[in-house]
Amino acid sequence: MSDISQKVEQIIREHNLHLCLECGKCSASCPRMLSGKQYSPRLLAQKIIASPEDEGYIESAVWECLTCGLCEERCPSGVRFVDFILRLRSLLAAVKGLKGYRAHDGAVHSWMRIMTAPGLKQNRLEWLTPDLRTTQEGPVAFFVGCAPYFDVFFSGIGVQTLAFARDGLRLMNRLGVDPVVLAEERCCGHDLLWTGDSANFAELSRLNYQAFRQAGVKEIVTACPECFQVWERFVPEVVEGFDLKVTLLLDFVERGMKTSGLRFSPLKTRVTYQDPCRLARMADRVEGPRRLMGMIEGLTLKEMDNSGRSALCCGNSSFINCDAYSKRIQLERLDEARRTKAELLLTACPKCHIHLACALRDPHTLGQPGIELRPLPSLLAERLPAGPEGDPGDNAR
Amino acid sequence: MTPVSILGIACNWSPYACYHAAGRAELALPANFRLMRVMCMGRINQALILKAFEHGADGVILLECVDADCRYGPGPEVGHTNVDRVRRLLRFLGIGQERLVERAFAADGRDELVHAVWDFTRAIEDMGPNPAKPGSAREAS
Ligand code: SF4
Ligand code: SF4
Repeated sequence: MSDISQKVEQIIREHNLHLCLECGKCSASCPRMLSGKQYSPRLLAQKIIASPEDEGYIESAVWECLTCGLCEERCPSGVRFVDFILRLRSLLAAVKGLKGYRAHDGAVHSWMRIMTAPGLKQNRLEWLTPDLRTTQEGPVAFFVGCAPYFDVFFSGIGVQTLAFARDGLRLMNRLGVDPVVLAEERCCGHDLLWTGDSANFAELSRLNYQAFRQAGVKEIVTACPECFQVWERFVPEVVEGFDLKVTLLLDFVERGMKTSGLRFSPLKTRVTYQDPCRLARMADRVEGPRRLMGMIEGLTLKEMDNSGRSALCCGNSSFINCDAYSKRIQLERLDEARRTKAELLLTACPKCHIHLACALRDPHTLGQPGIELRPLPSLLAERLPAGPEGDPGDNAR
Repeated sequence: MTPVSILGIACNWSPYACYHAAGRAELALPANFRLMRVMCMGRINQALILKAFEHGADGVILLECVDADCRYGPGPEVGHTNVDRVRRLLRFLGIGQERLVERAFAADGRDELVHAVWDFTRAIEDMGPNPAKPGSAREAS
């Protein structure tokens, strides 16, 4: 690694790795390590500082991390481990062409890169149902993400990430906003970014930004925590003069409920909730989703053993290094969910939805009590039926 | 005419036998046609096809055995399911479903295979290059 040692040194410095105490709290909390994988964040931190010549270990370990951020949550010394992983991956991918083992042979990353085509003309809006109101131009946009693609690609396991989009739009409509939905929206680039392909990530960011600006958009609302993270934090890094407001759908709904005076209709049910890492730990959205669930009368939220900022990862990130250990994490998470005796496992993230939907079909779970996986926006939309124009109707009891 | 590039993905058994026979008989195939051999059409997943387009193919022709001739049992079922799904993705991407075709051959289908490849190549040449070709910043490696 000597040829790039200065850059590695810089990454080490910028992410406080020198502050590491070797206490091992990170490894003791890392779900990847606890699942039995030969991987340790503490060891990676130590090796890159003290034995950078151990390239074999470093260059393989860097792809193992789920970037879930639990280690950072526990680290007493302020080591910024997740960003460290991100930057090291980008460097190793750019300089050495390294990449993690791609789940699904890299099909998802392929379509994401295809979307960098300058002449791209997609047919991606066929999922819009007649009741959903959208526009071509306006100040507020709804960013859909790759949901149409995921639902086809993963149709074999009954994935329905488009529910996040349809019900997200439904909620916006009912709260009085008919947002721009662009036919030429491209992938936000999250998975390319986090697997080290920063060039194509930047290309997607620029193209998306231009398209939304051209449509007169000033604010982007998205239901997906990954798209949210990307738009809020990473697009401004690569798009000069970035000036769009970025809003999480759940925040939008919470505000909208307060200002409109609308109410969710009651539902007697017992639910549990999968905190997405990119919301709970990385965007401090622990309470928001819970406040929203709390607005549904009759709904009881039963927390899993690990929840909020301590929530356990859904098992995979950015579709690399999905293996038996990922599955083990997922099965453990499902066990936690089942132990709450909830009827519904709600999630706010399309990716958590995909990974948990996969785990729910695992033969190891045969004979176990069922738990229904449901997007949080879908539950909210179902409880907020449309009233006549301008009349909150039955809802405003 | 703008040059186009065509990728064939051939099952190792009947279609590859046809291709081999065409080579022995010195039957010409289009200069812009390249062949990739897999053991069975069941090995053709969504990634292989998407990757072909990601790396610049303008058309992909899947050269398969007749279903009943498959040596592995579930090959055709798996393959056809994958192809159906990827077709829908190609439509979303604006690449268009007509840039991906499936053709099946018996082991003695040498001439049919040569015809199929020429026909497909001409059709793609008429359509022109794939509009959804990624920009220059393709993945390193
Ligand atoms: S981010 Fe998550 S997976 Fe990665 S080292 Fe930290 S705890 Fe482990
Ligand atoms: S928790 Fe922080 S200080 Fe402790 S070993 Fe891990 S990185 Fe080092």
